[in-house]
Formats: sequence, C-alpha cells, structure tokens
Amino acid sequence: MLFYYLWIAPHVLEGIVLYAMVRRGLHRQFPMFFLYISFEIAQCFCLLAVSRYVSYFGQVYIQVYAVGLAVSTAIRFAVIYELFCHFFRRYPAISGAGKLLFRGASLALLLIALGLAVSAPGNTPAASLNDATYVALRTTTFAADRAVSILQGGLLISLFLFSRYFVLSWRSPVFGIALGMGTFAIAEFATTALRLYVPISNKVFDRSAMAIYHLCVLIWILYVVRPEPELRFELKSLPTYDLEIWNQELERLL
Amino acid sequence: MIITLILVSVALLALGFLIRLAKGRALPAQVLENPGEHMRAVDLEAFRNLVDRDEEEFLRTNLPASEFRRIQRERLRAAVEYVSCAAQNAGVLLRLADAGRRSADPATAEAAEKLVQNALRLRLYALQAIPKLYLGMALPGARISAVGIAERYEQMTRLVVLLGCLQYPTRGVSAAL
Repeated sequence: MLFYYLWIAPHVLEGIVLYAMVRRGLHRQFPMFFLYISFEIAQCFCLLAVSRYVSYFGQVYIQVYAVGLAVSTAIRFAVIYELFCHFFRRYPAISGAGKLLFRGASLALLLIALGLAVSAPGNTPAASLNDATYVALRTTTFAADRAVSILQGGLLISLFLFSRYFVLSWRSPVFGIALGMGTFAIAEFATTALRLYVPISNKVFDRSAMAIYHLCVLIWILYVVRPEPELRFELKSLPTYDLEIWNQELERLL
Repeated sequence: MIITLILVSVALLALGFLIRLAKGRALPAQVLENPGEHMRAVDLEAFRNLVDRDEEEFLRTNLPASEFRRIQRERLRAAVEYVSCAAQNAGVLLRLADAGRRSADPATAEAAEKLVQNALRLRLYALQAIPKLYLGMALPGARISAVGIAERYEQMTRLVVLLGCLQYPTRGVSAAL
C-alpha cells in the first residue's frame, strides 16, 4: 500500500504543479521544467500500465524504466541549463562568469562522475531474477543514474554557491525548482551508490528514493503555488562611514 | 564498503550544504532592515596608496630587499582586508539596489540597476583580486594590479548617491542617506 502511495501520489501532486504553472504563466518562463513534470507524469502511468498488464516488475518493465530514465535525465539537464540562463539573464554583469562556471563545473563533475562510473562494481546479485541481461541493464542504469546525479547535484550546488557569493536574489519559483532538483539529485546519488555497493533489498532503496521524490514534489508545489513575496523597501539610512565619501562625491557631482 | 561510506557521506554533506545554502537566502532581508550594521569602513585613499605602483617602486628602491619584502607583505595583507571590506559593502549595496530596481520610478529603477551591475562587477573583481594579492604576499617582488577595484568602488558609491537622490528628491541626499 505504502509502495503504491509513494509511486502514484507524487505524480498526482505534480498535476498541481502543472496547473499552478499554467495559471501563473510559468510554463512560458520554464518550458523545460514544465516538460519535465509532464514527462514524469506520463512515465509514471506508462510504467504503472506495464507493471499491471505486461510484465509486473520484470525485464520489459526495467527496459521501459531505463528508456524513461534516459529521457527524464536529458530533460533534467535542460532544466538545469534553463535555471542557469534564467538566473543570469537578470545579471548581465556576471553572465560571462556564470557561463564559465557552468562549463567549468560541468567538466570537473563529469570527470568525477566518469571516475566513479569506472570504479563501480560490474555486477550485482539479482534479487528476484537470475537473468544476466536484466542484472546488467539494471546495474548500468543505476551507474549511469549515479553519474548523472553527481553532475546535476554538483551543478545546482555550484549555482547556489555562486548566487551566495554574489548575494544574488532568487525569484521564488527558480529557487524552488533548483532546491527540489538539487535535493532529488543528491538523494538519488546516495541511493544509487548504496544500491550498487550494499546488498540490501531493493525495496528499501525504492521506497526511500520514492519518498525523497515525494518531498521534492512538495517543495516544487510550495514554491510554484505560493505567490512571490512582496518586498517593501525604503532606503532609510546608510552607514555613516560612507557619508564622507558620498558628500565629497556629491560636491563633485554638483 | 569503504567507497559506499565515502559516497554516502559525500551525499549527506552535500545535502546539508545545500540546505545551509538555501537557508542563507534569508539573510538579505535583515540587510535591508539595517544595512549599516553589515557595512564596514573602507578608506579608499589608503587602499589606493597600498596598491600604488609608484609607492611600491619607491619602497623597493629605498629599502633593503628583506625589509621591502616584509613591508610589502604587510601592505598586501592590509590591501586584502580592504578588498574584502569593499566586497562586503558591495554585497550590502547590491541587496539594497536589487530591491530598489523594482521601484515604480523608472529613474530610480535605472540607477538601482546600474548599481547592481557595478556592485556585481566589484565582487567579481574582488574574487580575482584577492588571490592575486595573496600571490603578491607569497612573492613580494611580483607585480600585481588592483587599482581598478578602487575605481570601481568609487563609481559604485557615486551611483549610491544618485539612487538616494532619486528616491528622496525633495529631501536631498543627506536626508536620503
């Protein structure tokens, strides 16, 4: 029961994200994120249908899952790039540095991910099926997923670090999307690492990954549904130390 | 097993780091409430003097080599402190201006926009200048250039005055500040 709740509920809740995005016109600002959420919903119901009517959680299921994961991963990269672009568009002075950051971080993280992929174990014992193809596909899928999680999580952390250093303000939906994506990528990295190296039942990993995804969907709902907080600001006072310079500058201006 | 432990620890640390970074977003609101508390004094002329090439050349020619290196290290250490202060102030001003650029008055919004871009450039420049200054401390004889940061800072303070004038046109700049 818990398994089906964790599987279906986040995707039903994603419907709320889609609705809120259309209502607030965010689907035009974040088309890739909109596509990602739509794809996740479609993939969920497709997998549900496969598991129910075709092969339960067998080879066909894992094949469909692997293809879906590949497409979903590609869209997630597009979402991250979209976040970078959206973020730096507001700050032209550092857009060059931002692009440099994106490229540099991508390259560094790619090297780390490749290093870890190479060192990953070649095989894991099949829990339910004694099928070598099934096990290989599953292992490769998780290894690739982990590599992607490193890249995506790292890129989002770089974006957060960059914005922190430059004291940049986040618009609420951008922040929410990035936070949800980052949490998902990092948690995915941890679960796939455990899955590859620790021989515990896949059920435990599946449920924890699903629960984390559920949490991420709730984060997206929170930031996409709620209106942008109003910032009422009046320039009342500035530190005294600078008054002298400002007065001198004012004299020069006058 | 060890690799797993390392990877999971890295993931947990990254998650904690992400949450910490995300929480850090609340700080700017406090900065807007009372910016003065978050700003530090920067003596622009003193900084210019510290990174002045002529001054450096003068010290180089008039002091024994070991004495010059010691003094140059001290000067650059002070310069790093100045740059850090200027970068911190730029961060505070950036917060103020970022809020100011939502102003309904186009002139205020434009001035705020310029201030944001200038403050960003200053922080970017500080990011590049601080390692350079540290390099200069490690190699006191090497030539470094950080004069541009003083000019950027000056330009930025001018924009802050303009922003103050635009927000309080009837009261004058002193009242606005």
